[in-house]
Amino acid sequence: MNGNLLLMILGGLANVALVLLVAPFCEGLLRKVTARIQSRQGPPIWQPYYDLLKLLGKEDLESGESPLMQRFAVYLSLATVLTVACLIPMGFAAPMNQAGDAVLLIYLLTLAGVCTLLAGLAAGSTYSLLGISREMMAMIALEPLFAIAIVIGAVHTGSFRLDTVLNGSVYAAGVPWSGILMLAVMLLSFQAFVQRVPFDIAEAETEIMEGALMEYSGPKLALFKYAQMAKLVIYSALFVTLFVPWGNGLTFPLGWLLFWAKVFGLVLLVTLVAATHARYRIDQALRYFAGLLAVAVGALILASHGY
Amino acid sequence: MVAREKLNQLKAKFGPAIQRADLPNDFRLFVFVESGAVKDICQYLFRDLDARYVISIGADDRPFSGQFMVAHNFAFDREHLLASVLTYLPADHPKLDSITGAVPAANWAEREMRDLVGIEPVGHTYPKRLVLPDGWPDGVHPLRKDVPWDHVPAGFDAEREFRFDDPPEGCTVVPFGPFHPTLDEPAHFRLYLDGEVVRGCEYRGFMVHRGIEKLAESVLTYNDIPMMAERICGICGCVHNVCYAQAVESAVALRPPRRAEYLRTIMLEIERLHSHLLWVGLACHIVGFDTLFMQSFRIREPVMWIAEKITGNRKTYALCVIGGVRWDITPELKAELRQVLHKLEAEWQPVVTAVLKDKNIQKRTRGVGVADRKAVKEFALLGPVARAAGVDIDARRDHPYAAYDRMDFQVITESGCDVWSRVVVRAKEVFESIKIIRQCLEKMEPGPLQAEIKDELPVGRMGMSSVEAPRGESHHFVITGENNRPRRWRVRAPTYQNLQGVPAMIKDQQLADMTISLGSIDPCFSCTDRLETIDLKSGMTKAWSQEELLKLAKSKRS
Repeated sequence: MNGNLLLMILGGLANVALVLLVAPFCEGLLRKVTARIQSRQGPPIWQPYYDLLKLLGKEDLESGESPLMQRFAVYLSLATVLTVACLIPMGFAAPMNQAGDAVLLIYLLTLAGVCTLLAGLAAGSTYSLLGISREMMAMIALEPLFAIAIVIGAVHTGSFRLDTVLNGSVYAAGVPWSGILMLAVMLLSFQAFVQRVPFDIAEAETEIMEGALMEYSGPKLALFKYAQMAKLVIYSALFVTLFVPWGNGLTFPLGWLLFWAKVFGLVLLVTLVAATHARYRIDQALRYFAGLLAVAVGALILASHGY
Repeated sequence: MVAREKLNQLKAKFGPAIQRADLPNDFRLFVFVESGAVKDICQYLFRDLDARYVISIGADDRPFSGQFMVAHNFAFDREHLLASVLTYLPADHPKLDSITGAVPAANWAEREMRDLVGIEPVGHTYPKRLVLPDGWPDGVHPLRKDVPWDHVPAGFDAEREFRFDDPPEGCTVVPFGPFHPTLDEPAHFRLYLDGEVVRGCEYRGFMVHRGIEKLAESVLTYNDIPMMAERICGICGCVHNVCYAQAVESAVALRPPRRAEYLRTIMLEIERLHSHLLWVGLACHIVGFDTLFMQSFRIREPVMWIAEKITGNRKTYALCVIGGVRWDITPELKAELRQVLHKLEAEWQPVVTAVLKDKNIQKRTRGVGVADRKAVKEFALLGPVARAAGVDIDARRDHPYAAYDRMDFQVITESGCDVWSRVVVRAKEVFESIKIIRQCLEKMEPGPLQAEIKDELPVGRMGMSSVEAPRGESHHFVITGENNRPRRWRVRAPTYQNLQGVPAMIKDQQLADMTISLGSIDPCFSCTDRLETIDLKSGMTKAWSQEELLKLAKSKRS
């Protein structure tokens, strides 16, 4: 048992380190590809690492309505994302899957959004409040989607255990109609989960000046940015384990490489969509999310009837 | 004939109130009227004869006639006529009935006249300070002739703050600007928000006044001013440069050589090309579509290079002198310009095709920032904003100048009245500009670049000129004067009118649409901020005085 615990902790730490290492690389990849689409040279692919280091080295200013809450929000944000990293498989089996179940995962994903709310409240400016009101509206419409995807898996397998749910379980019915429906829904809403154009509405630099983040600078901004980069990796990894499980069973270097190849593929897809779209307005986005939510609920009903 | 006809109509209607008239040619009309009849005459012109309001000018004429002078300019676009209604006011009692009630578009111009020249528009509907800084003492009017250009009035109160109107009940106030990522220059909109919906706003601009008109009237000379004029705007500077030169030329009945006219046309169209491409890019950036932003800037860059090759500068071409131009286009440059146009056309065509089909951009721009025909008339909106509402006006065709009377081109109009229509108008106008430059290159003959001016320019003549800037009609009014400089020079940039229409465009819209609606007039705040002598802070920064801020900016952080 003790040996098991040690292994779990080591595995969790390995996952955290992996996410922290890979996240800026994904961001760099995203920036480079975006630049190429825009006929630009683009920054070096390592630039996000330098950016983070630079921001971390800056003076730590206290500003906004409540500096304490501001600090808390950013720590909580990164901590939440990294906790999720411990719970989901990153090419190997999930290291801490006994530590929690699918419901915990759903809670944690929602908590990451709550951190943005806290950050916006802490800043207390009109623009940050606008940002969080948008974030909140989007969250209410969005979070059920991932929850439904996970619950469909749980319905198919009859278990809330993470290792069963997070292994392509959405397709675990005879003809997996619900899984396929859900795949479409998640593909269409994925930009919103990782907060990229056309759904970067809560930050919208040209409208509300980064919204909740507007009072952040220096190391705190670095951590928030880090959390956002990590979010892209986490959500991509979740998406891959839930919906593109094929090849997960392969032996070590192959399965692991295939997993990360799928994650990078998803990041590229996000980049392409972001580079070819204009930002939606919050009311347009909500109508869009509402449509997806209706389809998702339909999928859930199908799943509960065994499809 | 048209000028005479309009004059007769006025005479028939108002009889003795019309004192005298000056018809230098068939495209210009100056009517001097009794001050008491100005309001009725303006209403008659604007409402009954359906003239377009252009601008009002106040001038301190005391050193010359012992009186103040006011001019209200109107345009009859279909009849190619620019008309000015002038009146003189006693030196000790410069008051005049406000025309804003009848002509809403005159709102700013009359307030500006009050601020800067001290002519009181009696019965103005919204007589709030417009141009002068908040701390400026009342009763000091910088454009009066007895105020030196570098005068700092006693009693300037840096602490005095601008008093905003009370917001409507149940609305939160969101300050937009003076510094905001989508504002390239300082301007302040105080938005009244109900949730995410804008219910109204108050505008406070004129924050970086540079005193250009005052300098021109007191320090510079006729041929210095074009250089200063093009610094009014960082994007459509050449427009002001040409427009000023034409206003002076029209006042003294001087015609530049034909080659100079073609060269002016070419440079104006090169400017329109780069300006429209820039605008499409910025508009895309505002709605978060950065790829098209980058692409249109890439396509635009060769236009900047060819402008630099012709004039020595990417912008600020220093093109005009009175009676001509300073740069010529050599045969090699001609060939290169043709190549640039060819490449531009080939690259822009697919962009336009893609944009016109793009549902995503239409979703953000259709039905947004609506200004219909009525708004265009009331606020005298101009350029692509007017043309997007189906109002077919274009100074290049309506008030031909330079070589435009010899050009074959289309005036693009749309009927959507919204941001989307403005996108379409601008995107298509690029092709018309390319067409015009090609015709100029075709038709241009060798010849002199400047008309010979033997004598001093006559004094006390009035001239006006309209030039179609990329964002609408620019209008300059000049009274020639002594000491080799004009007595009065009034610049009316298109943004001056278009900005007045923005509050109506953004009302009852989502906040997210505010930036693109404002962006859709292609605002150029520097074009409006050209008048004051001193740049002092308005009440935006409360905790810091200007001195402290300067000290802070200069000192290193410990």
